[in-house]
Amino acid sequence: MNHRIESIRKRRAGAGTSWTGVGSEARCRVASRAEADRPRSAAVASPLCWRRRGIRAALLAFALAVAGSSAIAANPARTPDHDYDAPKPGSYKLPVIKPAADGEVLDAQGRFLRLRELTRGRVTVMSFIYTRCAAAKACPMATGVLMQLHQHSAADPALAKQLRLISMSFDPEGDTPERMAAYSALADGRKPAAEWRFLTTASQARLQPILAAYGQAVNRKDNPNDPTGPLNHTLRVFLVDREGNIRNIYSSGTLDPRLVLADIRTLMMEQNTTAKK
Amino acid sequence: MQIMKSKSLFSLAGRGVVALATLATFAVTPLRADETCSSPYLARIEGQEEFVYVWTLGVEGLGDGADKLVTLDVKPGSPTYGKVIHTHPLQGRHEAHHGGFTDDRRQLWLSGLESSQIFIYDVYTNPAKPRHVKTIDNFEKITGGAVGPHGVYALPGRVLIPCLSNAKDQGGHTALVEFSNAGDYIATHWLPTKDTPGLEGAEFADGYGYDARVLPRKNVLLTTSFTGLKNYTRPFGELIQDAEAMKQFGNSMVLWNFHTRQPRKAFHVPGAPLEIRWAWGEKNNYAFTATALTSKLWLCYEDKNGEWQAKEIAHIGGEGGVIPVDMSLSADDKTLFVDCFGDGKVRVFDVSNPHQPKQIYEKQIGKQLNMVSQSWDGKRLYFSSSLLARWDKLGDDNEQFVRAYNWNGKELTPTFELDFTALKLGRPHHMLFGSTKVGNSTVAAK
Repeated sequence: MNHRIESIRKRRAGAGTSWTGVGSEARCRVASRAEADRPRSAAVASPLCWRRRGIRAALLAFALAVAGSSAIAANPARTPDHDYDAPKPGSYKLPVIKPAADGEVLDAQGRFLRLRELTRGRVTVMSFIYTRCAAAKACPMATGVLMQLHQHSAADPALAKQLRLISMSFDPEGDTPERMAAYSALADGRKPAAEWRFLTTASQARLQPILAAYGQAVNRKDNPNDPTGPLNHTLRVFLVDREGNIRNIYSSGTLDPRLVLADIRTLMMEQNTTAKK
Repeated sequence: MQIMKSKSLFSLAGRGVVALATLATFAVTPLRADETCSSPYLARIEGQEEFVYVWTLGVEGLGDGADKLVTLDVKPGSPTYGKVIHTHPLQGRHEAHHGGFTDDRRQLWLSGLESSQIFIYDVYTNPAKPRHVKTIDNFEKITGGAVGPHGVYALPGRVLIPCLSNAKDQGGHTALVEFSNAGDYIATHWLPTKDTPGLEGAEFADGYGYDARVLPRKNVLLTTSFTGLKNYTRPFGELIQDAEAMKQFGNSMVLWNFHTRQPRKAFHVPGAPLEIRWAWGEKNNYAFTATALTSKLWLCYEDKNGEWQAKEIAHIGGEGGVIPVDMSLSADDKTLFVDCFGDGKVRVFDVSNPHQPKQIYEKQIGKQLNMVSQSWDGKRLYFSSSLLARWDKLGDDNEQFVRAYNWNGKELTPTFELDFTALKLGRPHHMLFGSTKVGNSTVAAK
């Protein structure tokens, strides 16, 4: 944690906010303060807390629905889109693609963090998303896969300990920390499970270098009222090893939770072997 | 509030179990545009193609003599429709051959078969004027000895480059190479040989390479086989007189586990199988290829038992060889266009039953013919003439052109043509579609 973040933490803690609390009220207060730090042009009006409780309820319904529909461990069967058997973890190599880039991000509590701190120390699955996306093969699909991994980790202590999930927004205008906090309800009620962080950025100026470094293409659609959301983007989910190297990149055609899990376990085995040496 | 009104994940949540049960399998209707033979991971053009990028070999004494990227305007109604609107010459000649886009369609990578250089263009900032941004000029060194980079195939966040040769003996044993979209080298996967342990059909594996294409739904990668640098840089008339050299052509296809990049099964496919065309239909688990030296159409398919097989399904042309080269399969998997270099004709097959193709049409396109690119709606086809600098025909038969046609399901009618010799451009080879309008995501998983 760098000095700047620490000073922000102290300043905010001095105002009486609970930073470790996960209750919706705490999130509401903190996120609102984070928004106050944003440039006026980038700010989006915050929803009222009572309204967010409605979002939360809906998200819990979403989570329960996913839990009931396609858990990896309970049903490793093929699907029409993924009509093959997943490989055995450790039976193949995942070459290093490049180092996972750094950048300044905001977590769902409005704290400034370095992305580098969140892509080291654990096997990390990071999904670039925006919460207004309604294209079924894009962000909702990516978040659904992360949720399945999260579910799976809840029943596997070793996985829960070594895995981190990140939902990283590329829409700072829409995805305020408060909205990401509401979105993070997807990870609630499933403990102990892998750490799942919900991140955004304070501005486009903070976001663009991150997108460039990860090769995440995003631009605005001609029709801002497009029913699937206002942004064009490629689907990108990154697998990052404990040393901070990108080891795989998934898109809609390859984002099979069974493959991602096999890859995670391959890296865990690799790292365990390294540790033994 | 706008964000609460949008049909986002939140609103999906409100629909409960029904909506979520469809999440993993909901199929996005592919946008009806783009080339039919492009990577399924590629962001798609919306609507009709606006530009055709032509990777063109330089000819000594013709114009600047350099390899170049030529951009054609094919936007209907444009005052420059059917004309060259931009050229970018490179330094020297590299045996310009094939290329491909990165999956976000922001870059066009073009390969030089002889120099083993890769030329990367920005086609996002101004698609009408591609801008050369980078050259990979240490390919042999960083790949561990692979040379002759051939196609460039978009994968998520990276490209797959099947090669034709190796630096050690310049023969046909070669590799698949991966780079990130940023141009960082990732890995080299050598084609399997008879000594590859655990490979089904290892006795057929000759280590040669040419094309490499993926069927994501089945997690399989298929590769074909051609010949090495010392053959494809030799004058064709001289080469075919050398019996020993003519033995140095690939006779195999290999099926790989795509995710692990491990070869699963080798097939005996004699006569240099070249282009691979996977079917697009969601239950069509098969691909076509054609053998250049034996003029046969082959099918690689998954049988009723889930086993992958390869078999010859048709002869192309009459007596003697017609050297089938590029192919294009229509988006509905019903029509296969096969270009034949030998007699300059395109032959069209009804492949509604892929096991029993029937030729339904043929047309003389030129005195020599190599590449074909077809629009997604099947209405427009673009043909080009050049095969290789030293293999193209000589004298009056050495026509160098791009010719565009409309297809109405029964016949081809010409729309425009460009004489690349008269324009002092060179030998046109691979043609790729460009546009200012690119879809919002990759096409749905096949």
